[in-house]
Amino acid sequence: MAKILCSVATRGRYFTTLPLVLNAIINQTRLPDKLIIFDDNDDPQDMRKEMLYTYFFQILDIKGIQWEWLFADKKGQHHIHQRANSMGFEWVWRVDDDAIPEPSVLERLFSYTALNIGAIGGSILTPPIPRISASTGRITDIDIENNIQWGEIRAQKEVEHLHCSFLYRAGVHDYNLGLSRVAHREETLFTYGLFRKGYKLLVVPNANTWHFRNHEGGIRSETKEELYHHDEQIFRNVLKFKDKTVVVLNGGLGDHIVFSKILPEIKNPELFTCYPEVVPGKSIAEAQHLFGDIDQWNVYKKMDLWKWKDSLENAYRKLYL
Amino acid sequence: MIIISPYTKKLISGKQNPKNYPFWRELIALIDEPIIQIGIEGEEQLVPDFRKNLPLAELILLLKECRTWVSCDSFFQHLAWSEGKPGIVLWSVSDPLIFGHPENINLLKSRNNLAKNQFLWWEFVPHDAETFVFPTIVLEKLACG
Repeated sequence: MAKILCSVATRGRYFTTLPLVLNAIINQTRLPDKLIIFDDNDDPQDMRKEMLYTYFFQILDIKGIQWEWLFADKKGQHHIHQRANSMGFEWVWRVDDDAIPEPSVLERLFSYTALNIGAIGGSILTPPIPRISASTGRITDIDIENNIQWGEIRAQKEVEHLHCSFLYRAGVHDYNLGLSRVAHREETLFTYGLFRKGYKLLVVPNANTWHFRNHEGGIRSETKEELYHHDEQIFRNVLKFKDKTVVVLNGGLGDHIVFSKILPEIKNPELFTCYPEVVPGKSIAEAQHLFGDIDQWNVYKKMDLWKWKDSLENAYRKLYL
Repeated sequence: MIIISPYTKKLISGKQNPKNYPFWRELIALIDEPIIQIGIEGEEQLVPDFRKNLPLAELILLLKECRTWVSCDSFFQHLAWSEGKPGIVLWSVSDPLIFGHPENINLLKSRNNLAKNQFLWWEFVPHDAETFVFPTIVLEKLACG
């Protein structure tokens, strides 16, 4: 049976929506194997002293759900999600701290998992519910339509990006850690990255999460406009290169030589390299400026993550083909 | 003529890179044919003909001219592989199954010496002469080649 981690990133909502979220998770018809609450509060508290939480923790134990309360490092929720993404679970169900899933959401989302599925989301509803029936869920339509998850989803549909809370295949795509701490567009970039890797993203009916949009607290409680602008720029650059295979070779001369053997196999490459005499390309500094985090193309980090035993050449194949 | 590429990239710490073969002088003393050393400014000169900072195009020309080559695990083994010229690679802590090429003669004393994590910086791996094969073994392979 696949292992599911439920990850909740929280900030400033100890006594507002977070207890509702935890209660909803505890009462799922399909329970996660583990729940981790990533506490990103400026002034984190020991919630074991709070009666409400004491009961939550006891119920988790009674229901056999492993749980941890981890203190996050205040770098933004993308860092939190990346921690969850790399903890060795097969699936991660990320639930926002103001998004209250109905009891069957995890069961419904999980029922759609398959080898070719990267992520599954349901409706994320805030009353009054808008009519979203015409939305395509395509990344190219993101500026001209409401998010498909904001309305009632009546039938399963393939999309290119997901929003807010969803179940995703862990460990196959990294969050963009080059985003600022507001992590604007983080889930769009992440799920679109899964889509680009060839996984299907689904929105499915009868998996409603109620989004209690709360202006107080929240993992994105940051108002500096330049941070949003910075992240938006990264998002726009990713879209700009969406029909290309972006290659960032921030390695040694030998790495470039090995990579050059697989270059002919890469479709429509856009190259950023350190040794343009071996692999012609734009500079690494330009890649950093355009995409924020270039670690997603770090083949050594990937080989470490994959516990790689095969050749460097084949690691490049896995990364880029 | 044989090319030797004795050194890999210097570590930031200034310590010796654990991939650098420690017995070059002993090996060179055993070889009875012309040797060209390639490398960069600042590396120790081991033979009279030391060609520093050659551009890739010139290295490729040299590869075409040489009988064979001997190198530590550096970019040079990849360049030679890319040019279709097999040679000998002297391994210690890095894994030839990952970073090597089967077309070469990959001399690794023991897989027990391989660094546990092959994908981090080599800064934290100590240099240990015991992890390398002896020059006589290299010479045997050179004779075969």
